[in-house]
Amino acid sequence: MALRLLLWLVIAGGLAAGFAWAPLVPVLGATTHVLYLHVPAAFVAFIALGWSMLHSVLYLARRDMRHDDHAAGAAELGILFCVVATISGSLWAKAQWGSYWNWDPRETSIFFVLLIYAAYLALRGALEDGPRRARLSALYSVLAFVTAPFLFFVVPRLYASLHPSPILPSREQGSMDPRIRVCFDAMLVGFTGLFFWMLNLRVRLGALARRHAEVELEPPDSAVAAAGRGTR
Amino acid sequence: MNGNGVVLGVSLLAWTLLFLYLVRLERRVKELEKR
Repeated sequence: MALRLLLWLVIAGGLAAGFAWAPLVPVLGATTHVLYLHVPAAFVAFIALGWSMLHSVLYLARRDMRHDDHAAGAAELGILFCVVATISGSLWAKAQWGSYWNWDPRETSIFFVLLIYAAYLALRGALEDGPRRARLSALYSVLAFVTAPFLFFVVPRLYASLHPSPILPSREQGSMDPRIRVCFDAMLVGFTGLFFWMLNLRVRLGALARRHAEVELEPPDSAVAAAGRGTR
Repeated sequence: MNGNGVVLGVSLLAWTLLFLYLVRLERRVKELEKR
């Protein structure tokens, strides 16, 4: 429980400090605050989709259903964090560019990522629970993740984009205000912790659901059946 | 209270509610695992 409370504190503290203590980025003004939600959400979305791909590969190698639970849970959470990043980015775009959606290369990329992973969920929904669904989903997840680095990092840099990539300087440049850095890092760590906590719950729920299904499918108790035969 | 304060308040409330929901869900999962 102490770890959970620490996680609450890291995110709540990061948010509060980001709003009340850290300065605003001059060109962004008050919309700087959106970044404390938007960038960590996009970061965790990518980590989640990578985690899904990793466990899909592990499932294909070991055929252990726990890897399928990890792959499915991570993909679901990846979509969730992608949606958070998209909505927060949209709100930011409205304030900065005057419109919620502009089909900017980065917006278009995230739209395609969402479509690709929505198809993953559709595939899982269309198949019955079992090794076949796990195998096909794992194959799809590996193929889907091949597109993710391309859509997250390459496409937005290939075309002229309104998206402000160099507004927050990289660590190497070292010119990010240290107070913004502290809040930003706290949110990155907090969101990553939140993702792994949610994933852990999702995996445990998956195992419980499978156990429940196995119990329901079990044939009647053999002892009872034997006793029934004995009375005839 | 200015707009930033309202947004911060709503964000903290949403995070706290999500946190409490997850804590409750974890307790429920633990109970089910013990059965």
